[in-house]
Amino acid sequence: MNSTRTGSTRYTPDAVPAPGPSAARMTIPAPTDPAASARAQHPSSRPVPAILSARTLTKTYGSTTALSGLTLDIRAGESVAIMGTSGSGKTTLLHCLAGIVLPDSGRITLNTAAGSTRIDSLNESGRSRLRRESFGFVFQQGLLIPELTALENVAIALMLNGLDRTTAEQASAGWLQSLGLAGMEQRRIGELSGGQAQRVAIARAQVTGAGVIFADEPTGALDSATSAEVMQVLLDSTTGASKTLVVVTHDDTVASRCARVVSLQDGRLVGDSAGGAR
Amino acid sequence: MSTAVVDFRSAVRLAWLLARPGAAGGSAAGLPVLAFGLVTALLLIVLAGALSFFRWQDPAAGLYQLLAVLALVLLVLPLLTLGGAAARLSARRRDDRLSTLRLLGATPSTVGIITVLESTALAAAGAVAGVAGYLLLAPLVQLIEFRGAPIGTAFWLNPLAVAGVAAAVVLLAAASAAAGLGKVVISPLGVRTRQAPAKVHWFRGVLGALVIVAGYAAVSTGYASAAIAIAVVLGTFAAGLAVLNLLGPWVVAVLGRRQLRKASTAGKLLAARAILESPKAAWRQVSGVAMTSFVAVFGGTGAALAGSSPQETMGPEQFIAGDIRTGILITIGVSFLMVACSAGVNQASAVLDRADLYSSLDRLGMPRHVMDRARIRAVMLPLLLVSLGSAAVAALLVLPLAGLALVMAPLSVLTIAACLAAGIGVVRGGLWATGPVMAKVLEPAR
Repeated sequence: MNSTRTGSTRYTPDAVPAPGPSAARMTIPAPTDPAASARAQHPSSRPVPAILSARTLTKTYGSTTALSGLTLDIRAGESVAIMGTSGSGKTTLLHCLAGIVLPDSGRITLNTAAGSTRIDSLNESGRSRLRRESFGFVFQQGLLIPELTALENVAIALMLNGLDRTTAEQASAGWLQSLGLAGMEQRRIGELSGGQAQRVAIARAQVTGAGVIFADEPTGALDSATSAEVMQVLLDSTTGASKTLVVVTHDDTVASRCARVVSLQDGRLVGDSAGGAR
Repeated sequence: MSTAVVDFRSAVRLAWLLARPGAAGGSAAGLPVLAFGLVTALLLIVLAGALSFFRWQDPAAGLYQLLAVLALVLLVLPLLTLGGAAARLSARRRDDRLSTLRLLGATPSTVGIITVLESTALAAAGAVAGVAGYLLLAPLVQLIEFRGAPIGTAFWLNPLAVAGVAAAVVLLAAASAAAGLGKVVISPLGVRTRQAPAKVHWFRGVLGALVIVAGYAAVSTGYASAAIAIAVVLGTFAAGLAVLNLLGPWVVAVLGRRQLRKASTAGKLLAARAILESPKAAWRQVSGVAMTSFVAVFGGTGAALAGSSPQETMGPEQFIAGDIRTGILITIGVSFLMVACSAGVNQASAVLDRADLYSSLDRLGMPRHVMDRARIRAVMLPLLLVSLGSAAVAALLVLPLAGLALVMAPLSVLTIAACLAAGIGVVRGGLWATGPVMAKVLEPAR
């Protein structure tokens, strides 16, 4: 069951068809969907172009400069670890790339088969929609909804995109199963371990078939064994399926699992394992 | 020196150290102070109004005094609910600091004492503001007429009584904060609520139905003595209010389960789960309107009954019908004010409690209107159900007393309908007023 990206819509109807306004155009990607995503996004492109392109980004908070003329390209299907000390600007960079905050100046472009989108020129609701439909997020504490079950926490991402609940829950159950959470669908978040909760967050980030997954210290609250396990699940389900993974971390072990490591200091790029600093 | 004394001393020092505005700005502290201020002011005004009736010594004064006590009882319950909501808000507003203290090695009892001290301090500030509010509003309230003359100077309370009410509000805050601590676990990694949702037993439904049937039978029976009849009516009235509190959470839980099964959108799913998370809390948010609806049916029928008296009366009795109407209007009006504040304070508290979650949902791309609709739905659905339900229970109990003609009299129906509409409107207004709190919570993410 491959999912293919076409035009402004997200997936071709090769999986579970879903009724509803925007859902009519949408099908849900299967949990194990090897190498489909990036190929689908850029079927004939070689070499792989930048799926996210940031140019001379600056961002200040009061008198603090978080980003200072930073330029970075992230290619489709790669895993990138953004490292740096506290205050280096790594989380601000992730927030800018994901359209959570706007840079004071500079350009951020999302390139897909549907065309290019200037994230920095979208309004709040446009960026909200982009985050909902094109990106997935995994936060340090998972930040799942405590009163919902594991299944509902995943399904809600699809329901926000207009899918009906039954279809959304069917697809979500598949994701939970593939991430080793079969039988835990009806548990509330408080009834799961930290690692299990992060797997739910990973399922939620990916169930919509987002091509780019942003993770902010995804293993920060976990012990080392669980951390390695969660990182493996995250990599398998993203780059393993040719999706793009952007991880903010200060943990060398986590960074070493990524194909590329970029380092920030004082809002500038000071190291890039793929080709030096800019 | 005992460990408890050391804990208390360090807690006092830490509470003093932490008594400066947090990142959430003044609103986190301002809301509970405002709510405590309102509780104190309303308590004082209601108490002063009720006690002013006790200056009369004539035979007809007994009825006024009885009704004043009844109104006081009716208003004190929702006031205590509002006080409790304010205390919970003040206790939960700085969870982050408390969990940090736990991380630094503070014991659970130290953190507990800090929370109670902070709530008490905010309540004390609110109580002072409330006394000022009472003094400012008194000249206006004094103009209200009973028995053909303004209340006037009889409205002024003894300073000791004023101090007593303020102290009671502060004590309520301290007790409520201490009780609220039992429901959360302040760990070094943050503040968690319990893992399993609260269950509400179906037995409440059965017991509630039995009380209603018994009440109906009691008021349908003829009594030889008027005193016994009055006692039965008042007893039924009190039992009716008690049954509302008993039935309310169970009815809200049944509604939540039904909504959960039917939920087809993200907003409806969130709302249903929010109701089921704590049916008692959901009930608390709307219980004021349920009580007011109940009172409105009794009050509306009472007003119709008072107005239907055919004979011309002289002396103090001539004012009774009009005064009953005035009393009912004041009781209902004050009740609405408290309901609106309770809804606002509870919602502000809920939004601040879940600030991180709302912020993360915003990052995930959940539109603001979905979050708003979910939290509004979680309040408005139970509200509609319980306000209509409690009016129906009241009508059932009042029917044998007044008869269908009086319950359905235009004045009665108008009073009931206006109360329901106003109750629903003020709660919706209270929810609307929390919009800026939500905006503030989402602001850092933008």
